[in-house]
Amino acid sequence: MKQHSILLFSAMMLGLGACQKGEIPNLNTPVADQIIANGSKEQIDNLAVAMESGMRFTLNTYFDAIGLQGREIYRFSGSEPRYTQELMGGTGLDNNTFYTTNPWASRYRVVRQANTLIDAVNASTRLSANEKKGYLGYAKTIMAYQLLITLNMQYTNGIRTDVKDPNNLGPIKGYPESLADIAALLDEGKTELTGSEITFPVSIVADVTPLKLLRFNRALAARVAVYRQQWAAALTALNESFFDLNGPLYNGYVHIFSANSGDILNPVFLPQNNAGEQRLAHPSYAAQIAAGDDRLAKASLRSAAASLDGLVSNRDVWIHTSNTAPIYIIRNEELVLIYAEAKIQLNQIPDAIVALNVIRTKHNLPVYAGVITPAALITEMLNQRRYSLFAEGHRWIDMRRYNRLNQLPNDRPQDKVWDKFPIPLPETNQ
Amino acid sequence: MYLTKQFTLLVLLLCISIAAAAQLRVTGKVSDASGNPVPGVTVRLQQTNRGTVTDAQGRYSIEAPGGSTLIFSYTGYKTQNLVASGSTLDVTLTEDYANLDEVVITGLATSVKRSNLANAVATISAKQLYGVAPAPTFDAALSGKIPGAMITASSGAPGGGISVKMRGVTSIFSNSQPLYVVDGVFISNISVPAGLNLITGAATAGNPQNQDNPSSRVADINPDDIENIEILKGASAAAIYGSKAAAGVILITTKKGTSLGRTIVRARQDIGFAKARKLLGVRRFTEQTAFERGGATERDMFIAARNAGKLYDYEEEMYGETGLVSNTNVSVNGGTERTGMYFSANRKSEEGIVKNSGYLNNSVRMNIDHQLNDRISLALRATYMNTSADRGLTNNDNNSVTYGVSLATIPEYLDLHPDALGNYPVNPAAANPLETRDKMRNNETTNRVITGGEVKATLHSNDRTNTRLIVRGGIDFFNLKTEAIFPRTLQFMKGQLNGASIQGNTNNLNTNLAGILVNSFAPNPNLNFTTSLGATLETNYLDHILSIATNLIPDQNNVDQAASSQLQQFRQKYRDNGIFIQEEVLLMDAITLSAGVRFDRSTNNGDYKKYYVLPKAAASWNLAKMDFWNIQSINSFKVRAAYGQAGNVAPYGAKFLALTASNIGGQPGSFVDNQFGNPDIEQERQTELEAGLDVSFFNGRLSLEATYYNKKIYDLLLRRNVPSSSGFTQQWVNGGDLQNKGVEIGIGAIPVNSKNFRWNTQLNFWKNTSEVTKLTIPAFPLGAFGNTLGNFFIEEGKSATQIIGTLGGNKGVGVLGNSEPDFQLSFYNDVTFLTNFSLRVMLHWKKGGDNINLTQYLSDIFQTSFDYDDDKNGNGVKDGVDRMNAAGNRDASVRVQDASYVRIREIGLYYNIPIPKNNVISAVNVGISANNWFTWTDYVSYDPESSNFGSNTISTATARGSNGISTGVEVTPFPASKRAMFHLGVTF
Repeated sequence: MKQHSILLFSAMMLGLGACQKGEIPNLNTPVADQIIANGSKEQIDNLAVAMESGMRFTLNTYFDAIGLQGREIYRFSGSEPRYTQELMGGTGLDNNTFYTTNPWASRYRVVRQANTLIDAVNASTRLSANEKKGYLGYAKTIMAYQLLITLNMQYTNGIRTDVKDPNNLGPIKGYPESLADIAALLDEGKTELTGSEITFPVSIVADVTPLKLLRFNRALAARVAVYRQQWAAALTALNESFFDLNGPLYNGYVHIFSANSGDILNPVFLPQNNAGEQRLAHPSYAAQIAAGDDRLAKASLRSAAASLDGLVSNRDVWIHTSNTAPIYIIRNEELVLIYAEAKIQLNQIPDAIVALNVIRTKHNLPVYAGVITPAALITEMLNQRRYSLFAEGHRWIDMRRYNRLNQLPNDRPQDKVWDKFPIPLPETNQ
Repeated sequence: MYLTKQFTLLVLLLCISIAAAAQLRVTGKVSDASGNPVPGVTVRLQQTNRGTVTDAQGRYSIEAPGGSTLIFSYTGYKTQNLVASGSTLDVTLTEDYANLDEVVITGLATSVKRSNLANAVATISAKQLYGVAPAPTFDAALSGKIPGAMITASSGAPGGGISVKMRGVTSIFSNSQPLYVVDGVFISNISVPAGLNLITGAATAGNPQNQDNPSSRVADINPDDIENIEILKGASAAAIYGSKAAAGVILITTKKGTSLGRTIVRARQDIGFAKARKLLGVRRFTEQTAFERGGATERDMFIAARNAGKLYDYEEEMYGETGLVSNTNVSVNGGTERTGMYFSANRKSEEGIVKNSGYLNNSVRMNIDHQLNDRISLALRATYMNTSADRGLTNNDNNSVTYGVSLATIPEYLDLHPDALGNYPVNPAAANPLETRDKMRNNETTNRVITGGEVKATLHSNDRTNTRLIVRGGIDFFNLKTEAIFPRTLQFMKGQLNGASIQGNTNNLNTNLAGILVNSFAPNPNLNFTTSLGATLETNYLDHILSIATNLIPDQNNVDQAASSQLQQFRQKYRDNGIFIQEEVLLMDAITLSAGVRFDRSTNNGDYKKYYVLPKAAASWNLAKMDFWNIQSINSFKVRAAYGQAGNVAPYGAKFLALTASNIGGQPGSFVDNQFGNPDIEQERQTELEAGLDVSFFNGRLSLEATYYNKKIYDLLLRRNVPSSSGFTQQWVNGGDLQNKGVEIGIGAIPVNSKNFRWNTQLNFWKNTSEVTKLTIPAFPLGAFGNTLGNFFIEEGKSATQIIGTLGGNKGVGVLGNSEPDFQLSFYNDVTFLTNFSLRVMLHWKKGGDNINLTQYLSDIFQTSFDYDDDKNGNGVKDGVDRMNAAGNRDASVRVQDASYVRIREIGLYYNIPIPKNNVISAVNVGISANNWFTWTDYVSYDPESSNFGSNTISTATARGSNGISTGVEVTPFPASKRAMFHLGVTF
């Protein structure tokens, strides 16, 4: 029997002797748990950089989806018929396709990143208290912004504002409640940023300082305030923001792009006169613009009109003039118009007219000469917002805020302007 | 006891040497029933490795101790055991019509005769695989030949891309493709995407799955080298392969040298051409229809084009090329009594049906078998392959750039031909496909070495027992270079990426090592035990680097000749090891009982140290071999049952929450992946119960093989959709159970067998139904582009391959079809007549099974469908308009279409030219064949076999690979081709 044992043993040795030992780690990327547990400052900075980078993902889908609802653009694509069909009317929006799920998932991924950053910062033993405040204030501001643009699409379908624990998500809240949570989150961000120290890379603004981030936070707070019809609060927030009534209209905060490795190109850019994929100005933009308005340049004339599915336009959307051009998150032109809106609503008409005229004159138009009633001025304000913020994601929301979606044009019999997007299927199907 | 044993061994050794001294030479002739010599018969001395092979005249000569038993075996003939009593022993072999004596591999190192086999193991011979009408690649050659398998061509592009699913869907998200083992070497069959998504954006909107549709690496293998293939379809047969066997195992044995005494050189040349299987045609416009499409502008364009004679059939221009196909093969087969050598060199070249597409495969192989001494034998297998495929740009995209999407937008009156200066007109609705085809390049080049060795040693042997040690090891290494070049002058490059050069470099190394100890013990002639014990180790290391350069210097492809560049890298590594033990008992050569268990672990599992236990057991009883059997006409009547478990390891990286690279402002960033890591992930477990009846009548002239199986997959690896407000979209979980039940019936017959006419026929029928029996996560869609276009839907209690979609109006969502066929049937006939003619036909019928046809949809949108103006349903509305109305009404049912077909897969006629006896040429063979030439189907597109998603595309850090479901989704594919060939073979 002994030989058998020897033979068996040698066979086993042959088989098992070749075994290597140990677990095989992730060879490709860092692993989140390790950084949350005890990340170095450099690793935490990487989380902050990616949080900002991730804000840009699928922005094209977001701008297209709401640009189509606001009847600002047409989106023609050889391979994606839904741009000209269900997104413009028909029988309904799909709760499980790209235009519903992708923007939602992309924004919440940044929220997850912000929560991860917050966890890592709170757990870190290598950061000073003021440094921590900087990360936390920035993270909360970004988180609030991501929730806001998600809510823009969902409207009264609502969103989840508490998603800190991925295994135990908070409820889906209604529109006003969600806005209130976003405002509160911005306020928390403000508190953190006050007296903070920014020691990590930020790209939404050059030469970042705590003050610059605070002003960004407050500009967003002003936007949220007008959405909530809290006009006085809007003015207060404006005062703490980078609002400058006579300043350059394009002062603001941006998403930047590059062709560097790991970076992305501006997803909303398409060249002029492009064939195949086209993002066109809705014909009403040029048709209804006042004579001499320089904002017509945002819809450049094509060498040949494009048509698809019964829709025709001869102008390209031309607000991003290269694939590395920035996308504005918020800029002074909007703040001036928020100022005007709040002033109208607070019945401080002369201030409002001053602001509206700032916009008009800067765009080569004569000063406002229409009827001076709040109603007329609201219409004027909305019209200025339409042209000043063309294709920047405002028209549909503005018209919805003032219950004017029925004033948006429908080009074909089956067309219809939707007032909100459905909650994505994976959200409810659990 | 100890001393006695030692003494016995000593005596044994002495006996052997004495016996050697007393050996005598036995010679003889082997002939068949009609007296013709049979060359190539293996003559082996029982209980030893010693043997020889008969020569061209059927003669043999072997040293053997007087009174020893010689075993005469040859494929297609019944094995005979005869005692050599004198110096001459002539033998007459009888044909084994039902292949009952064929030896089938049942363990990692053990085999049994088919007549005792407890499983339904399909075997494909070299002739069936490649001897009828050669397919373009090895994997394509399997089509229709495996009962129980659903084989689908994912791409018609040169180099192919084939999905093989045995006995239904075995995994929903994880690997559903079988393990390929070539001469004991576990080879890689991954598909590596070329990074085309950057250009097409295919995976950026409706479906995040990669849609580059690369070829499967198993296609590299030269089918000419294959001797035979055995297919272990499910866990009951394949359990011994453990955690890699859940989707079945395809065991490939290559040809080996035989010691015929004379070296045989074979040369073969095939030449022929390839054409598109079907072209749909284009919409023919009138002034009226051009006006309806684009108003007065387009009507005027139409009139101008018509009057100038410039109405074009762009489909014909793109897909209508005739490609030259050539295959050259030289093989050398020879050896001595102790050494066998097989060498082959093969060059295959094929032009595609689209200009600038094609496939090239060069390979060499050297197989050496050597008998070191009576106890130890060595086998070495080595092959090198160099393949290159130019695959064009097809399938889905979101940037309107692929050939098919571009073609869908083009009416016949638009002129897209280059002017005299070479400038291509702009297609306003998408890309100019002529320009794209002429300027771009999408190439996959592989350099691959597969090599393995095996040592078999008889540790001890006597007349009742012997113990062998088998050590087997092998490596499969390949480098895959992908090159996707898009010059900056392309219409869709101008002003955007300004040229792109995407170069991928993948190195993949698979190694495997096994040590197996096999003991045979026969206490008496009616009882035989075979015990195996062994350990295996498999490792893999894949390193994939993708360099993307954009804004290129004109006419330059180097990634440094560019203004910007991006890099991606993905690596994966795993280590699986297992230990197994197996016992097989053969009683009275009639009853087989076997049982085994395997312990497996993998570094891909959440707990890499945990061993999973995978048992198996099988029994068969061949009643016809019992003494009481007295039905003369039935010479084999076997009932059998087998049970086994196999696993499917979790995908690499499923257990981590990774942070992917996402940079901005020149700063590096680490972004939480949208796949939520699951540290508790476990492997899928499959159990399969198989039972069957094999009957052979009239001495094997008629045989029946019927099998029922019930395959259950537990702890399904599912990529669960998590509420994306968590920040994650997906997470791997073990979330359900799946069941596949089916039957496989094979009937083989030789209805006529005369000297001048012999007809051999084989009919196979198979059917599978699947059901998701448990789902612990909510039902979820996957695999296509949303409910309005038709989607797969995994739901408890329903078929795993059901297709659902919106029903129109406010009717919600309902079932629209199923991609699983009702049944499949293959019918193989081999007719030999007038001695030298041979006609072989393989017919394949797939009944049922639906596709999601989005090619038609895209053409409908642009009003270019060839049948747009038809009115087949006679409702007074054009069919194209009907279909678009349905789309407008959210009715997805028009997109889900029956993809049944009847196809003559292969047909070939061969003739052996009688040549006068000479010393140079021994045989000349000519033939003509057609591959996939005739198809009957109602499916309205290029081919009912299609898949936009490929079959085994790897998942990387930035791209989601294939899943187990989504075959049959068609989006403007590379049209499938058919081939006609002329063959010439000369044997020296």
